[in-house]
Amino acid sequence: MGPLIPLGQIATGWDFVIALLIGIAFGFILESTGFSSSRNIAGVFYGYNFVVLRVFFTAVIVAMIGLQYFDYMGWIDLNLIYILPTYVNSMIIGSVLMGLGFVLGGFCPGTSYTAIAIGKLDAIVFTAGLFLGIFMFSELFPLLENLYYGESLGNVTISEILGVSNGLITFLFVIVALIAFYVTWLIEKRVRNRITEYKF
Amino acid sequence: MNRNYLLLTALLIILSGGLLFLPEKSDINRENPEDLMWDIVQPTRYLSTDKVAKMIIEKDPLLLLIDVREDYEFEEFTLPGAVNVPFDSILTDYADEILSIEDVNTVLISNDDIRADQAWVIAKRLGYKNIYVMKGGLNCWITTIIQPVEPAETSPITEFELYKFRLGASAYFTGAEIPEESGEKKKLNVTRRKKETVVEGGC
Amino acid sequence: MHIHELNPKKTIIALSVFIVVIVIGLSSISGPRLEYKLSPAETIELITWEEGYVYPYELEDILGGVVDTVILIDIRNNFDFSRGHIPGAENISAIELLNEENISRLKKLKKEGMCVMIYGDSQLHANGPWMIYRQLGFNNVKLLLGGYDYYAQWKDNLADTYAEDGYLLGMPRHDYADVAANAGIFDEDDGDNKKPLNITRRKKTTVVEGGC
Repeated sequence: MGPLIPLGQIATGWDFVIALLIGIAFGFILESTGFSSSRNIAGVFYGYNFVVLRVFFTAVIVAMIGLQYFDYMGWIDLNLIYILPTYVNSMIIGSVLMGLGFVLGGFCPGTSYTAIAIGKLDAIVFTAGLFLGIFMFSELFPLLENLYYGESLGNVTISEILGVSNGLITFLFVIVALIAFYVTWLIEKRVRNRITEYKF
Repeated sequence: MNRNYLLLTALLIILSGGLLFLPEKSDINRENPEDLMWDIVQPTRYLSTDKVAKMIIEKDPLLLLIDVREDYEFEEFTLPGAVNVPFDSILTDYADEILSIEDVNTVLISNDDIRADQAWVIAKRLGYKNIYVMKGGLNCWITTIIQPVEPAETSPITEFELYKFRLGASAYFTGAEIPEESGEKKKLNVTRRKKETVVEGGC
Repeated sequence: MHIHELNPKKTIIALSVFIVVIVIGLSSISGPRLEYKLSPAETIELITWEEGYVYPYELEDILGGVVDTVILIDIRNNFDFSRGHIPGAENISAIELLNEENISRLKKLKKEGMCVMIYGDSQLHANGPWMIYRQLGFNNVKLLLGGYDYYAQWKDNLADTYAEDGYLLGMPRHDYADVAANAGIFDEDDGDNKKPLNITRRKKTTVVEGGC
């Protein structure tokens, strides 16, 4: 049955329409989970609010489990899903930079737009910086190209590298996520006891 | 701790644990029976011996001949450029390497066409593409290409053109003299071009 | 902490939607309609099984009513069928063989212990459908060697085909290397080049085994 577009169930011309709808839904979820608040985002780093971690981890494990059941039920063919190529160097550097940007700016790229939508001034400044960064990166790309494409592993998945089944990886990942939920809950409780005056 | 969280935690553990017990999808059914049947009824999966002869003579770079007979038969006689993949060894890595060469037209040959056809069905089920069967096999090859029979006087002109082509092909494959007037070989070029319209009779 | 996270009502709603989707999915699993019962390796072995074939001389028993557990299916197209067919055969052209009704009928016949013999113009013509049926696990389906063309040629004296080998395929009928080397002489004497065929024939006395 799926994936719908590669299998021609939906004509390719519709993909932008679908992207728009998914984008609206994503923005709505981001806003309704409170992600347009910089305090929620930055709270992860200071240890008083782990809602970001919980929401994203939950989304990831639900999607992981759901996709594999759907694959088994024949609703979607995971072999046809596009897998992004893995570049080890740029992945590590990129995630460190992104984390720094998170804690400095209090937004991630997606939440900055939802924050603009509810009229936050700092989000506008953040987005301006975001575009400046994109522009600088594009201009400097020839210099960074080797780094960017370095250590390419190709379109691999964890299960292919380790040679174990997807189900096992998912199971372990779910356990890790649940432990993380519990640990962050404990941390949150301790930290919050110290800053009782904090209110949302 | 909130009771909801315990509930959700238990649910996730159960669901992800269930993933461990999902059976692996088997990949031996790469082509499902309905599609296979559809492919089987297509007459285009057969190539006549004339067509194969023409491809060999023209040194068609996309032609890959696979001889599915036993190796001792292969050593005794085969078509120019053929590789040997005995029928029994069609599931070996060696056969896989040859059958999965992309963008070539693989033609299976055997003594008659039946063994090649059986190999074709299995190879198709395994998902290999662009495979054909030489209709009539080597027995037909001998009676049509190597020892062509002159058509009866009353046969249509196309029969004679085909015969001419076969004589030329016979000379090509055996290196023999042509018993008719010399210059036949030069004429062959002309007849070969026309070949597309010639009725591909025979086996 | 957000009040959403602790709202038991919302959790229950989300949870039940989630479970309903999974349950619907699991209950809607319908495996492929047709599944291969034989692995490719088993299929290769199948080719050599004697019991998968019907020899032309065995047709005599079938047509004469000695063996009445065999149903004949003609897989040629309607036109060819109307021009002539083996008496008692029914016409199901190849592409319809995997239809729902034909499959369920075959299953029924298999349960009843009936054999199905399929034939086409030649053995080659019916080989593909026969192999598919066999791979699908219908081991009551047999293939007529020689096909209709051979039958039409011998229909008046089928028993005589016991001593004949025109329907047997798969062995060289020429000494290829020899023929190819001496092909310069167009002497038309194929007869001399004919290799004695090494045929293992079933004993005539065995009536078609009905136990399928």
